[in-house]
Amino acid sequence: MRENSERPGQQGKRPSLRTFVFTALSYRKRAGMSAWLLHRFTGTALVLYLVAHIMGLRSLADPAAFEVYITTFRSPLFKIAEVMLLGSIAFHAFNGLRIMIQDMFYRSENQRRLFYGVFLLSVLVTLAGGLTLVFPYFIAPFLP
Amino acid sequence: MNRMNDKQENCRSTGFRAFGWLMQRVTGVGLLLLLGLHFWLQHMPNGFLATAEEYNALFRQFGASGGELADAVAGGTLKEALPGEHVITYSKVLERLQSPLWKMIDIALLLLALSHGMQGLGRVVGDYIQSVPVRKVAVALGWVAASLLAWQGIATIMAVGTN
Repeated sequence: MRENSERPGQQGKRPSLRTFVFTALSYRKRAGMSAWLLHRFTGTALVLYLVAHIMGLRSLADPAAFEVYITTFRSPLFKIAEVMLLGSIAFHAFNGLRIMIQDMFYRSENQRRLFYGVFLLSVLVTLAGGLTLVFPYFIAPFLP
Repeated sequence: MNRMNDKQENCRSTGFRAFGWLMQRVTGVGLLLLLGLHFWLQHMPNGFLATAEEYNALFRQFGASGGELADAVAGGTLKEALPGEHVITYSKVLERLQSPLWKMIDIALLLLALSHGMQGLGRVVGDYIQSVPVRKVAVALGWVAASLLAWQGIATIMAVGTN
């Protein structure tokens, strides 16, 4: 493990994406850090998705344009992206719930186990929902 | 020195940031319910989406309609549903948004998502932009973007079924 002083974020450098990435990589790999990093990463991705979603739905003004818009997202690649969307929402939601529980009610002695619970729950929800989403594309064609 | 840890800057904004912290919890719980409902109804197979049979009947209608949709069918920008696939269609959205209650729910979801997302983005921006003037510009731009997106979203929702 590197010393604190070697961390780029603590050397008085100006913050930048590069500094951020190196700082994040220099942290000890612990549950709390993964929770923070994943929450931030999924949150940012979801904001970008929200903007695209709102702008894309302008096609609702024209029924024909809307049908074409929806068809774009019915390709195998976008179905995988949809599963990743569900995964991001599930993790962000359950981890947010964990943060609220810890903030408002108690400081858990078992916060690491709570995080593993959050991660497991997100994986389960993503698997259940994701398999349903991709079923017609990736599973049904291979069934007898 | 214009740094985030500048005492004056911190003191001035503490109350506002604490309110933001609380709002992030409130909107978070709201999103847990409304976004969960939204994803369940609009992405998972259920009655708010057309079944493969319903969609393919519609697809044949589009092909025979002779308009823009017939061109889309011929040009391949519309494609038939796979067996078991559920597809969201304009008529299904129209059917749901006939109800003012659904319009209100969708607008509430839009505003909750925008405020939660922009508040979160503000925290991220605050972490990486330490120069106070630059941060103020970024926050102002965020407010402008959020207002425009809210306006666009509400206009989209309200316009469904009026033309």
